[in-house]
Amino acid sequence: MVEAFWVALLGLLVAGYFALAGFDYGVALVVRFTGRDEPARRRVLRAMTPYFLGNEVWLVAAVGVLFGAFPRLEGELLSGHHGAVVVLLVGLVLFTVAVQLRDGGWWDVPLIGGALLVSVSWGLLLADVLGGPGWLWAVGVTALFSLHGAVFLVWRLSGPLRARALRCARWLLAPVAVFAALTVPTTGPVPVPAFGWAAVLAVLLLGAAWVALRGEAFGWAFVATAAVCALPVLAVFGARDVVGSEVMAHAGTLAPLAWIALGVAPLVLVFQWATWRMSRAAR
Amino acid sequence: MDALGLARLQFALTTSFHFLFVLLTIGLVTVVAVMQTRATLTGGAVHLRMTRFWGRLYVVNYAMGIATGIVMEFQFGLNWSGLSEFAGDVFGAPLAVETLVAFFLESTFLGLWIFGWDRLNRWAHLALIWLVALTAYASAVWIMVANGFLQHPVGYEVHDGVLRLVDLGALLTNPTFTVAVAHLVFGALTVAGVFVTGVSAWHFLRRTAEVDFFRRSLRTGVWTTALATPFLIGAGFGQFPVIAQFQPGKTEAAGPVGGAGLGVMIQIGFTLFLVSWLTLPLLWRDRVTRWRPVLWLMVIGVPLPFAAAILGWLLRELGRQPWLVYGLLRTEDALSPVDAGGMLTSLIAFAGVFLVLAVADWVVIARLAARGPDPESAPAPVSPLVPAL
Repeated sequence: MVEAFWVALLGLLVAGYFALAGFDYGVALVVRFTGRDEPARRRVLRAMTPYFLGNEVWLVAAVGVLFGAFPRLEGELLSGHHGAVVVLLVGLVLFTVAVQLRDGGWWDVPLIGGALLVSVSWGLLLADVLGGPGWLWAVGVTALFSLHGAVFLVWRLSGPLRARALRCARWLLAPVAVFAALTVPTTGPVPVPAFGWAAVLAVLLLGAAWVALRGEAFGWAFVATAAVCALPVLAVFGARDVVGSEVMAHAGTLAPLAWIALGVAPLVLVFQWATWRMSRAAR
Repeated sequence: MDALGLARLQFALTTSFHFLFVLLTIGLVTVVAVMQTRATLTGGAVHLRMTRFWGRLYVVNYAMGIATGIVMEFQFGLNWSGLSEFAGDVFGAPLAVETLVAFFLESTFLGLWIFGWDRLNRWAHLALIWLVALTAYASAVWIMVANGFLQHPVGYEVHDGVLRLVDLGALLTNPTFTVAVAHLVFGALTVAGVFVTGVSAWHFLRRTAEVDFFRRSLRTGVWTTALATPFLIGAGFGQFPVIAQFQPGKTEAAGPVGGAGLGVMIQIGFTLFLVSWLTLPLLWRDRVTRWRPVLWLMVIGVPLPFAAAILGWLLRELGRQPWLVYGLLRTEDALSPVDAGGMLTSLIAFAGVFLVLAVADWVVIARLAARGPDPESAPAPVSPLVPAL
């Protein structure tokens, strides 16, 4: 019972990270295609920045839970993929600092470079865990985050900037759908029914995003691409029995931690919700 | 150098960078919270401008703190997987609490504080900065709980060759945690006090027109330093009996670097204590703001508490060797199965990126600090993250 709680919490945090931070990286990846000059790029980035701090910390919390509740998995997972994790961290550091300090065009080098390193290394890590081809996942996750970022911008911006973000999003929909379809035959020995259903669901959600973009229901398109970003995480949890009790901490650790997590979770959700609410009012 | 040496060097370098930024974060957020409290209570325009100016420097400094913090969190699993395998049940618990209770909430609160400026009710906005401060302190507390466990393991039992947590309360009353966290907190306040003093002194050297603004800031800085340093020194010396009891021979284990560092740290601590108390009478009628040699010393002194903090940290960590978990797990036995080439690559990558970004961050801080506060009529946002309205 306590074990199931921790697996669910870890899944929720990682899925939340992909769905939320995914558009942070995506906005950085498409900023040069959406904003033609510096004032326009600033407007594009500042559609995302109010959420940035709240989005990135989902990863921090996920790794904290990984360390506290799954200590045997944490060391194996991170040290077992040393190269990819190092690239991920370098990308995260570059991106995190550049977002917060950007005051001119040259900061776009660490900003876009960092976002690219992050999405490529997440692709490589997912490919590694699922046994798929690295290049496909690296390109695919980068395209997926870019799509998510573009759809977010369509939702949050207006006028010509929205039109250009919309063009980006339309361009990216088909390649991402192809990526989702290709993952099924190319992925290594995983329980195919569950994994195949995830891919089918991804393609359906991308279709829904397309319909929503056409119907100008931009908020719903964003929800759809957010769900697609979270899907690989659920696929990993479904396809790989990564979280058996032998990698988990003992009940003496899990019980007190669970009380603390249960106490904090409502606070976190309330204040994350407040961030979205306040920024909506500011739009 | 072998993989072990490279991994240790990597940990020392990344921790030192992280430490430089979090020290100022913890100290400065306290100063900013006090400034904002005065602004909210009195409605004084100068206090509000001070909150914005010092708050902006705080936010820019935080940017690098969070970035380096992410690397710290991953590094245990990345390079020291033996630690989580053997002691993860105990050592991982405070780290997990730190990320959930402190890091996660701190960033969320800070985001709300940044974007709630001029939008939220002023009391709600004031509450947010205190929540940011509170969670920053909670962060320090839980990290030091984890570190205190490495120095003197408590609250555990050994089962099947790995540790199990049996008493979380023992971790929280661990003598290697309690005195050390007080030392750390007063160190952070000293860093902030010296920083605020130095920046204000610089503006008087440049014959600033913002006399009232920097007069008040300078007083805040000097008083913060003067009030923090006695407790800083007390909690520093308070650790010697604990060390004598649980880690005899710590200074020898730390080697010549750690031993010399201890001496320099103590010198810096006493110097800051003395000069801050000697400056207090000079604050009368703001005499000190016209005494240029003293102002110069205040500017030059800014790096001193940072240097002392790094030296103290080196002593604490080097003096724990050859143990990772004192008496239980040797550092060499905790190393991940990663070859020296991979370790060297990651060391170069992290050190290079941190160095470039830290310098960039300090340049931004120096520029913003030198530019001075915004004119009252046209205040700029507190962070570049804020969308233009």
